[in-house]
Amino acid sequence: MTTTISRAAPRRTSLRPRVAPWAFLAPALALFTMFLVVPIGYAIYLSVMQLRSSGGAFGIRRQTFVGLDNYVASLTDPELVASLGRLGIFALISVPLTLGLALTFALLLDLPGVRLARFSRLAIFLPYAVPGVIGALLWGFLYLPRTSPATYLLQAVGLPSVDFLNGSWLYLSLSNIAVWAGVGFNMIVMYTALRSIPSELYEAAKIDGASEWQIAWRIKVPLLTPALVLTFLFSVIATLQAYGEPTTLRSMSNSISFNFFPLMKIYRDAFNLDNTSGAAAASVVLALGTLVISLGLLRLLQRRTFGEN
Amino acid sequence: MKRSTLFRAGALAVATSALLATAGCAGDAGGDSSGPVTLEYWGWAPGIADVVSVWNEQHPEIQVKVVEAAGADDMIAKLLAAQRAGEGPDLAQAEYQKLPNLVVSDVALDISQYADQFSGSFSEGALSLVTVGDGIYAVPQDTGPMIFMYRKDVFDQNGWAPPTTWDEYAALAEKVHTTLPGSYLGGYPDDASTMAAYAQPLGAEWWATEGDAWKVGIDEAPTQRVVTFWQKLVEQGVVDTTHFFTPEWGTMMNDGSLLSWTAGAWAPAAAFSVAPDTAGLWAAAKMPTWDGETGTGFMGGSSVMVTKNSAHPKEAVEFLTWLNASEEGTRGLIDAGLFPASSVGQSQLAGQPVPDLVSNQADFWDLAVDIAGNSAPFTWGPNVQVAFDAWSDGVKSATQTGAPYTDVLKAAQDAVVADLEKSGFTVQ
Repeated sequence: MTTTISRAAPRRTSLRPRVAPWAFLAPALALFTMFLVVPIGYAIYLSVMQLRSSGGAFGIRRQTFVGLDNYVASLTDPELVASLGRLGIFALISVPLTLGLALTFALLLDLPGVRLARFSRLAIFLPYAVPGVIGALLWGFLYLPRTSPATYLLQAVGLPSVDFLNGSWLYLSLSNIAVWAGVGFNMIVMYTALRSIPSELYEAAKIDGASEWQIAWRIKVPLLTPALVLTFLFSVIATLQAYGEPTTLRSMSNSISFNFFPLMKIYRDAFNLDNTSGAAAASVVLALGTLVISLGLLRLLQRRTFGEN
Repeated sequence: MKRSTLFRAGALAVATSALLATAGCAGDAGGDSSGPVTLEYWGWAPGIADVVSVWNEQHPEIQVKVVEAAGADDMIAKLLAAQRAGEGPDLAQAEYQKLPNLVVSDVALDISQYADQFSGSFSEGALSLVTVGDGIYAVPQDTGPMIFMYRKDVFDQNGWAPPTTWDEYAALAEKVHTTLPGSYLGGYPDDASTMAAYAQPLGAEWWATEGDAWKVGIDEAPTQRVVTFWQKLVEQGVVDTTHFFTPEWGTMMNDGSLLSWTAGAWAPAAAFSVAPDTAGLWAAAKMPTWDGETGTGFMGGSSVMVTKNSAHPKEAVEFLTWLNASEEGTRGLIDAGLFPASSVGQSQLAGQPVPDLVSNQADFWDLAVDIAGNSAPFTWGPNVQVAFDAWSDGVKSATQTGAPYTDVLKAAQDAVVADLEKSGFTVQ
């Protein structure tokens, strides 16, 4: 096709297809380069450097090329591995709970004849609008034995108080905050997807004698699968980036260390310990891990869900 | 659509990590030599702006602009980032233990050549805190000689005297626990600066230099003795394990569940905001001793340094000398609630109103000045934060699991040595 055009008007049109697309792409490319390519490149550059003393007990430290030393240190760092383990426990509790509750609420709100639907939708969504740090602080005070209403109630009925921020309670308490903040957003995504299902399907099912339960389970959930996959991926990625809640609660709990979750460790290394290079290497590892997990999950689910792709 | 969203999310993760690691290279700031000089001063001490405005009125040729850039914890990260970008202040407040890091990071300027202006106003101990290697890198501002601050009303009711030795402290902790269930004599040192202050009188040397090499002595007899002492009290359940300045701790200080706090002389002023109901009920005494030794410890306090970016180091030191070592400047510091590091400043304390929490103890300042005179010297290293983080993380988890605190000490020692070696320093 291009050959025919260039033969017809060689000068004017041969340039146009070459320049025009780039001109249209330029703004996006410029932004992409400035805010993605350059920072990523810089992080990779930093990850192969290290501040090294120029000699003497108080020698000034300068950037020195160290090759893959930082990557070796990151990957063999027991603290990073342990933090990934803790993140795994947190994810196993919070992701299924968030999605399960969001699906339940979305299905309930989609029932015909449901009352106070708008109010309930808003009420469930509201925690998502609360800034993460404020949410974590609110929950922190609800957890602390001396300020918690739970302690008050438990003592009123003669039970011992519970230390929500230590021991095995800690993961439940952290997950609870994530679930509380995350259900609303996921519920809205699922609910919107539910509303786009043509109602003829329900009418047909009803004529066939299907109950609401059967409609939900046999029609709504299968048709909702794309939205479920999407929210699942978002939840997994958000969990890998968990940082705010444990950081806010750290000063309230003896069980949350500086390197409790991977991002907390990266932040600590970069800004408390001035080990930007180590933090950059760990960031690259974590980012690649996120990418691999996301692509893997997508490939796995895509074949079933988006067969037409 | 899903695929691109996904890619974007992945790319975003990379970008976020990249942003996390943003830092720049150092550059040189120019400055013109004519006209009035303006110095930017980063600090966190409350009320310092009032003191500085007095200076600004008297010195139109050297104007100082105070910027509350960050608190003590975030100051270093901000300074390093600014300095590497070729920006940042002329003057910055820095805790003593962070100075060596700022020296090896090429942020702090050696002001030895101007030091004659102020060195006579400070004790040798105070000057040693701002001396790194062969240079003087800051002017001391305030210090925290250790005091034992206790609830005098409760002590008097029960006929208890403030403990003079740590053995007495342990015995009293048990007594408090049995007499007043739910109350504790005090808390364990889960932060390393408290621990360092407890170990200093025993001659602990966490960092020391021998020629060009570092010697790390965190996991040695003096500090081992301190942590073993505290672990026993924690296991008996007679001391509290709440970290200070948490909401929980504030509640306990205010409602009488905590009967003492062993910390720097700034403690009464600092605790007032969380325990206002107990104003006047506290008194201060000397920190208990281990074996009756005379040297005491320091906790907290800070200095003000001149940065390498500053185009006017001479004027900067002139201002710092006024602020920290003149009668007028230090009176301002005292008004701002600081315990001045200079002898000039400490001589101004007599007759000053004492902090509200200890308002019934007229000789509070005399006591603090007396303790400050006996401070044991201490050297900080270039990677103090590594030790601090390792200790506070480790001791919390050891308290949960029952692991020996001495293991935590060893882990902190190993972490510090590994970090020094990674940074290219020689470790003995």
